[in-house]
Amino acid sequence: MLKNIFNPKSVALVGASRDKKSVGYGIAKNLVKGCVFKSKFCKPFKRKIFFVNPKANKLLGVKCHPDLSSIKQKIDLVIIATPARTVEAIVEECSRLKVGGMIIISAGFGESGKEGRILQERITRKAGSIPIIGPNCLGIIKPKFGMNVSFAPSMPPAGNIAFISQSGALADSIIDWAIEENYGFSTIISTGNQASLEISDYIEWLGKDKDTDAIAIYIEGLDDGRKFMETAKRVVKKKPIIVLKGGRTDTGQKAISSHTGSIAGVYNIYQAAFRQCGIHAADTVEELFDIAKTLGNLPPCRNSVAIITNAGGPGVLCADYCESLGINVVELKKSTIKKLDDSGKMHPAYSRHNPLDIVGDALPERYDTAINTLLSEDYISGLIVIQTLQTMTDPVKDANIIIKAKEKFKDKPIICSFMGGKFSKKGKKMLEDKGVPEFNDPKKAALAMKALIDRKENI
Amino acid sequence: MVHQAGYRETRAILEKYSISLPKGILISSKSKVNLSRKIGYPQAMKIISNDVIHKSDAGGVVTGIMNIKEAKLAFKKIIKNVKRKMPDAEIKGVLVQKMSTGTEIIIGMKRDKQFGPVILFGLGGVFVEVLKDVTIQIAPVSINQAKSMIKRIKGISLLKGARGSKPADIDRIALIISRLSNLSMNEKDIIEIDLNPVMIDGNKINIVDARILKC
Repeated sequence: MLKNIFNPKSVALVGASRDKKSVGYGIAKNLVKGCVFKSKFCKPFKRKIFFVNPKANKLLGVKCHPDLSSIKQKIDLVIIATPARTVEAIVEECSRLKVGGMIIISAGFGESGKEGRILQERITRKAGSIPIIGPNCLGIIKPKFGMNVSFAPSMPPAGNIAFISQSGALADSIIDWAIEENYGFSTIISTGNQASLEISDYIEWLGKDKDTDAIAIYIEGLDDGRKFMETAKRVVKKKPIIVLKGGRTDTGQKAISSHTGSIAGVYNIYQAAFRQCGIHAADTVEELFDIAKTLGNLPPCRNSVAIITNAGGPGVLCADYCESLGINVVELKKSTIKKLDDSGKMHPAYSRHNPLDIVGDALPERYDTAINTLLSEDYISGLIVIQTLQTMTDPVKDANIIIKAKEKFKDKPIICSFMGGKFSKKGKKMLEDKGVPEFNDPKKAALAMKALIDRKENI
Repeated sequence: MVHQAGYRETRAILEKYSISLPKGILISSKSKVNLSRKIGYPQAMKIISNDVIHKSDAGGVVTGIMNIKEAKLAFKKIIKNVKRKMPDAEIKGVLVQKMSTGTEIIIGMKRDKQFGPVILFGLGGVFVEVLKDVTIQIAPVSINQAKSMIKRIKGISLLKGARGSKPADIDRIALIISRLSNLSMNEKDIIEIDLNPVMIDGNKINIVDARILKC
């Protein structure tokens, strides 16, 4: 049913505007060109596009129609970006024309008091069985199709992470960041007021979407927590879900209350719900996308992990973080040490225990031996590889070795921390481009590994 | 309107789900304090009134009563305190119970607008008030889920026999949690329940106080 919205053959924009400062112009330009702020990921949307504007003939090379009825062709998706008071009549027209779906960008509904709420209920009723995204939303983006049905500033890279956001503005900033970081999205959805389609519906849809490998969500509140849980529990078995919950303080705590009432606050209850569903609850925006990237690109991990490092300090730090998170930094067996000894590649002073410190002068081939020896052991299920930059370090070759190991050991996750900046950048980027999560801080690498271990226990 | 269930009603609702409160004697007037001898010592005495929700705050609780003389004094003191602090409260009497020892825990339920009944478990006293060392699970809660709720609290070592106490019978606590969960799934007019404190001493478990809010 949502196919008409997420993969439409034809799109009509009501409220396409010639005023360059208006939302109606931004959406028109996004539809035709892919973006307003140019990025290398922008491409035009190669489906049928119709504009509705009774005062204009042509906009951005697209013919303008006086209303939806005069288009006289089948319309899968209608985007409405006109003032709130005009929306009801347009929805009625959509209903008559039996369009496939609607995105109502316009604000001035449920979010703006009683009158708005009544109007929202009325348009939802009039839409009948036609699904609506919004109102009061940013729209949706599917980079793979060059589909930017939103007033977001630009187009992020295509990738395998879906993002559902209850804040449209947050999505805007994430898009800007994603272009810089080359972080790819399958779909971005701004939910708006959720008059008809709700977060649960999007989770259900993305669970079946073959372009999506992980679902990241920013939630402020849910109307029906039980329905959300029921859907999430089902989908999480197939795909990881990561949630950032906004709104931690309880307002309006009633005067008459029990102990339980005052302690079991809203945020705690949400956290319990997420845990029971097997959802990863993120603490920050950064963690939301770090963990989504990790869970979307790597297999789950049994709790038996090794650390390889060319530096003592970062190795110790990483082991400390692992321990405090309950990650088992597994004892290396004598037979494993023997294999490393026999390889002839190890420095005489290498650590011979986990974290495996292969010493500062480690060349790529020493990393290669260490990674392959450890990952060949059945009792080691995942690896954190730390690289610090010494005079002989070769981040690019090291990255290549890790990328090859990722392909060879498909069921064992590798997470990297190439600590550094300017001279490590190229290696870092190579890793990221091949779906090996890389974090400058070993703590983040440990957190990502923990998420993979939790996922193993949750599915 | 939100109101507190009375003493008898609270007992009856909990009994229906096999959650029993300890024996107690309701003393309705000064002349009947003598009846409290039957309970044994040390005793705890507390105010019974639908209008008093936080009994201690109203001066409605006396503990460590060792003999009938102290019991008579305690009765007088409680009635006086509550009449002074809450002059409009309708007082049904005072409940006398034998005091129990052990580790204090809290088991509770709250009906959340979005998620429905939610069950809470934690260590009682200062642990719940200050440290908020509790775990929360959205109902229904199975016995196994209840066990893992108990084990997730930070102070779990206190229930495992730290500081020389007997290890607490976690299975028995889990049973009460799952029964409270059953109750919460069926009794939809109940919005909040506190079993607080519950005293656990080895395999002896004693629900010292219970409070039910209905709408």
